[in-house]
Amino acid sequence: MRQRSRIGSRLIIGLVFLFLYLPIFLLIIFSFNRGDSSVVWRGFSFHWYAKLFQNRLIMESVYTTLLVSLLATAISTVVGTFASIGVYSLTRRWRDPILVVNDIPMMNADIVTGVSLCLFFVAFFQGWGSFAQWFNSVQGLVELPVRLTLGLGTLLLAHVAFNIPYVILNVAPKLRRMDKNLVDAAQDLGCTWMQAFYKVILPEIKPGIVSGALIAFTMSVDDFVISYFTAGSSTSTLAMAIYGMARRRITPEINAVSTLLFLAVLILLVVNNLREARLERLAQQQPIHQPRRPDIVERLAQGAATVRGRWLRRGVALAMACVFVVVVCLLSAATGAQPVVNVCSWGEYIAPELIEQFEQETGIRVNYQTTDSNETLYSLLKSGGADYDVVVPSDYMISQLIEENMLEELNYNNIPNFSLIDDRFKNLSYDPENKYTVPYTWGTVGLIYNTTMVKEEITSWSALYSDEYADNVLLINNSRDALGIALIYLGYSVNTTDEEEIREAYRLIADANRRGVFQARVMDEVFQYMEGGNAAIGTYYAGDYLTMLENNEDLAFVVPEEGSNWFVDAMCVLRDAPHKEEAEKWINFIASTEANLANMDEIWYASPNREALEQYPAYYEEKYEEPLDMEFYEIMAAPQEVLDRCEAYLVLPSEIRTLYNDLWIQLGA
Amino acid sequence: MSKELICLSNCVMSYGDDIVLDHINLYIKDKEFLTLLGPSGCGKTTTLRIIGGFLLPTSGDILFDGARINDVPPHKRMVNTVFQRYALFPHLNVFENVAFGLRMGQTQIQEVKGKQVRCKVKLPEEEIRSRVLDMLEIVNLKGFEKRSISALSGGQQQRVAIARALVNRPKVLLLDEPLGALDMRLRKDMQNELKRIQQEMGITFIYVTHDQEEALAMSDTVVVMDGGRIQQIGTPEDIYNEPKNAFVADFIGESNIIDGVMRADGEVEIFNRRFQCLDKGFAPNEPVDVVIRPEDVDIVAEEQGQLKGTVTSVTFKGVHYDTIVDFYGFKWLIQTTDFCPVDSRIGIKIDPDGIHVMKKSRYSGLFGDYSSYSEEYDEIGDADYDFEQDGSREGGDEE
Repeated sequence: MRQRSRIGSRLIIGLVFLFLYLPIFLLIIFSFNRGDSSVVWRGFSFHWYAKLFQNRLIMESVYTTLLVSLLATAISTVVGTFASIGVYSLTRRWRDPILVVNDIPMMNADIVTGVSLCLFFVAFFQGWGSFAQWFNSVQGLVELPVRLTLGLGTLLLAHVAFNIPYVILNVAPKLRRMDKNLVDAAQDLGCTWMQAFYKVILPEIKPGIVSGALIAFTMSVDDFVISYFTAGSSTSTLAMAIYGMARRRITPEINAVSTLLFLAVLILLVVNNLREARLERLAQQQPIHQPRRPDIVERLAQGAATVRGRWLRRGVALAMACVFVVVVCLLSAATGAQPVVNVCSWGEYIAPELIEQFEQETGIRVNYQTTDSNETLYSLLKSGGADYDVVVPSDYMISQLIEENMLEELNYNNIPNFSLIDDRFKNLSYDPENKYTVPYTWGTVGLIYNTTMVKEEITSWSALYSDEYADNVLLINNSRDALGIALIYLGYSVNTTDEEEIREAYRLIADANRRGVFQARVMDEVFQYMEGGNAAIGTYYAGDYLTMLENNEDLAFVVPEEGSNWFVDAMCVLRDAPHKEEAEKWINFIASTEANLANMDEIWYASPNREALEQYPAYYEEKYEEPLDMEFYEIMAAPQEVLDRCEAYLVLPSEIRTLYNDLWIQLGA
Repeated sequence: MSKELICLSNCVMSYGDDIVLDHINLYIKDKEFLTLLGPSGCGKTTTLRIIGGFLLPTSGDILFDGARINDVPPHKRMVNTVFQRYALFPHLNVFENVAFGLRMGQTQIQEVKGKQVRCKVKLPEEEIRSRVLDMLEIVNLKGFEKRSISALSGGQQQRVAIARALVNRPKVLLLDEPLGALDMRLRKDMQNELKRIQQEMGITFIYVTHDQEEALAMSDTVVVMDGGRIQQIGTPEDIYNEPKNAFVADFIGESNIIDGVMRADGEVEIFNRRFQCLDKGFAPNEPVDVVIRPEDVDIVAEEQGQLKGTVTSVTFKGVHYDTIVDFYGFKWLIQTTDFCPVDSRIGIKIDPDGIHVMKKSRYSGLFGDYSSYSEEYDEIGDADYDFEQDGSREGGDEE
């Protein structure tokens, strides 16, 4: 009986740990996958780790993360330690409430902290702008910068702010246990307060400071939400970079970088725990005649007590100050001296070598950031915290931005490569006179199906709504695409403003939903479902179909006979962009045939460049030494007769957007 | 023993309405052993901390060698302190604790371009070593240099704290209830040791205690404090024999304090009977407090007594009996070697030099009646003694 219950409890513990760690193990295992799927195992390889270290975006974000975390840890440890000492010199009446107040930011939701810090910074920048303008106008000696933006500085401040409570939380108990007379005693014996701090307080509370610093560092490296709101457009931490990359799908590269992040945090925690265990053991068995071996910090402290050590200590302090100054100089130099262009695009949406190539050719540093959707981009721009020069929104978002006067007209004399853009992609409805945009990619939405589960050849959207594939169909999880496809199937325009037509489209989906046709509603999860053969039919973008095909040869793609949506993502410059000249150079560079070829090869989205479209089959054959499968190529770059069947999205009037939203919510309920 | 080393003049310390020190005037002579004595909350530790530089008086001056030192921080004062709970540095061993002050350098006054300049001078390592070892020998801790602080008993820690302060050769050593956490036997040993060290080194000691026996045994001068005021300053003999008021009389030793009326110089009336005394200079018929020490009373046969009373309790104390006698409703403590059984009627005689007459004060009528006498009464000063409350020295005090 007892035996059985012991087995039972062990089983439960086992299950709990399995539940906790299995996802992480899965992630680690798939980071060594040779193929690029998160579902299908293609053999062991370090390929993705190698690729990781060549990926400039990731390496830059690692650098940013380390820089911010280390600086934030250093600053918040110093500030937090002195703050704790300050709090402990207060009377109990003040001290206890302050310590409670200190706990609140830690319990507070990160999103609240992040948003409020963002608001605070933006409000401050506005105030600063007016002050600087006034200040510059009344005197000519010093020119203050008028426009401040979110960036490394605000990111660092935010990290310092959320780290300080953790330091205080760790240092305060050590201070509480310390005999208050120790400081008096040290001063009595000839120390100034600062000397007493170094010689007496610091050794006493050192364990608290070290664990406070370690926790602060871990929190800093880990943080996503607060960074996301305070880093602005020109900076991104590792967590933000991973999030940007994961927009399309979770690549093994993300697995690899996540594995490294997990290991780094694990090592920190293990180090901290071992250290604490050792201290505890020492406290328990106090050796009397056998002094324990002093650790490195104590040896330094002992050294510092001697004359030579004094110089050593001064040397160390001097060296640290120098490093700090150098870092600050480098930071300001990096942001100030070199010309920069700030680009915001989507994750995995460029051939990385293009960035380096552009920098080498022009000497302009490219600050390449990503966001995850048109809507996120829009809200970032609206919040005023972003300082992008170039953005790459989709057609309907472009017309909305033009409508709201948020784009700058381009000087096409600076963009000679615009002439290479195929006429089919000029003067499109979102920018009828083509004053604002240069197309980046284009593509179609189509129906993807698994030929082992679907025996016939699909030609109509009707398959999406029929009982034949009940519980095997994936519905695309956004209102615009889902209702748009239903409208096309019913023979209406995707941009209709006729409420009855939209409601009819909704009823079509809702009816199929009620009959249990849809297995799930997905966006990027479609990769896992289709690659793993877990669903028969899905709707997605042509370029992504080709990625799926690499991992599952049974998949087929069709643009149904009723037609479909086709989309264009185009580069535009934001109004009042600080680097307009550099931005146009960048746009011209990306519009070139070479860049378009490289991009097409990397991301498998069709190029709008006439020459690139013609030359790609030859480019492919030369690079991979095998002919390009033209069937695939026509899926990527749909021929004109397919495009003729398709319709692009336009921005909808706001009451129709509301209707879309309401209907979509109704479907969920 | 004549120069005034430290002088407090009109020192007031208050926190809002709470007056902790009320116009303290105090002179401390060079090489003197001065004790600040009083119950807890009387302001004795505050006075010490003002001298040490840890507190700034709200008003009033503190002079050192004639110079005002109100604004001089602790580390620049030629004063060292032994703290209540020793405040030894736990991360350093015995040697390094004692060497701490020496490693900070010695303040010396040097002539630079005709001006006197204070500057810190580093001591050579050999000198530090020899001075620390000498000092450890003085406090009987030879061979303990390498020990960690937490491996010492309370008495040993106490001696490290004294060594740590004295090794700096301060002009003045401040001791804040240094023996409070020790047990009785150890306390007696340390009293002798401290007195020996003080005499050997010729340093001024300012000693804070609530233990009147300790104060009488060790001090050259005793300052009795209560309620933020100095009640009396004097030699231990003065304080004991000529207490200024009922508080001092009661706090120092045992006293029977009785209401009396001064009928003439050398004649005081108690319980409507006149007694010869040595006190003079009171107004005729002035109401006074009369102190009669328990050992100054002779028990005689009832009929020969100046006063007659009934024995209500007898306690054997070894050398003598503590006998409580009821005289007309007022209970006296009498210490006598004669055993008088309970309920027996006795008479007493008091010699003129056994009677001490004091002016009436705000303490009159509060002390001196032994109606509620019990063994605990001896320990009145310990009643609110609170060292052990936080238990931070647990396990350290056993030897």
